[in-house]
Amino acid sequence: MSSPAATVAIDHHHDHTTSTGIPNKKLLLWAFLASDCMFFGTLISTHLIYRLHPVPGGPDPRHIFSIELTSFSTFILLMSSLMMALAVNAIQKGNVRSMRASLLTTAFFGAIFVGCQVYEFHHFVMEKHLTISNSLFGSTFYTLTGTHGIHVSIGILWLMSMYFFSFKKGFSERNAVDVDSMGLYWHFVDIVWIVIFTAVYLLEFI
Amino acid sequence: MSTVAHPAAAVGHDGDENRFQIYVQIAMLLAVITGIEIVAIYIPLARWIIFGGLVVLSLVKFLFVIFYFMHLKWDKPFCTVLFMIGLAWGGGTAWALVLLARADASRPLTSPANEQAEVR
Repeated sequence: MSSPAATVAIDHHHDHTTSTGIPNKKLLLWAFLASDCMFFGTLISTHLIYRLHPVPGGPDPRHIFSIELTSFSTFILLMSSLMMALAVNAIQKGNVRSMRASLLTTAFFGAIFVGCQVYEFHHFVMEKHLTISNSLFGSTFYTLTGTHGIHVSIGILWLMSMYFFSFKKGFSERNAVDVDSMGLYWHFVDIVWIVIFTAVYLLEFI
Repeated sequence: MSTVAHPAAAVGHDGDENRFQIYVQIAMLLAVITGIEIVAIYIPLARWIIFGGLVVLSLVKFLFVIFYFMHLKWDKPFCTVLFMIGLAWGGGTAWALVLLARADASRPLTSPANEQAEVR
């Protein structure tokens, strides 16, 4: 929550704000994330509904999933969220070099996550013969996790764009709201995975 | 000039150090909770207990990320309200869809439950 002292102390951030006192970019991001909640809500519920009514002879997720790989990629994504938070913290202090290092690490962790997902998909298709079109489970699983993977990939592109943009003359703590908005998106991708990891993967094993 | 309540500005230099420590501690906590979740699925307890435990642990992780990493704890309450509206709408839709699909009338014709009913 904001304090009166905080309201006075942030004059050095020249952000365009709405009447709410929240920067336009940040408010836009929050509104987008709120709408994305609905998007992922429908994808997750679609998957769960078809899991509640499995088709006879359909694939058994327990024989398909590799909980070790998924746990590893979950851990990596959580650590990427930490690095993103540190990047935002660094730019708010005006430490651009530290922010660049944290951004690169975040993008690297994100790339590992996407790499794990590509490996997982390849393994499922080639070894387990689970494709997007040969079962309802495959259709909903690939649509949900693939959409999340696309979100992560967009986040990596955004991170790298911000990294290169940070070399532009004049980039300073005045750009904190840009990095902060990007951080919100990245953390959102993380919380969506927190739900997917439990709802799609872990619940299959109980 | 902006009059935005900015988290970094609100805490000062000592606060920045604290914020750094908070982020690291939360990340470690999230990793530990994830570890507990993974172990929990192999514990021979009643299914509903494991299910409830996993849901609670996920919720704890979710709340830690949105309130600390996404700064909702320090930001203007309007951000929380805006996000919670979307979350409630999306979550409510998902919950309603799952409940609706559990109703007998909406079961897919290929469902095992329907096939068993036909055999009888």
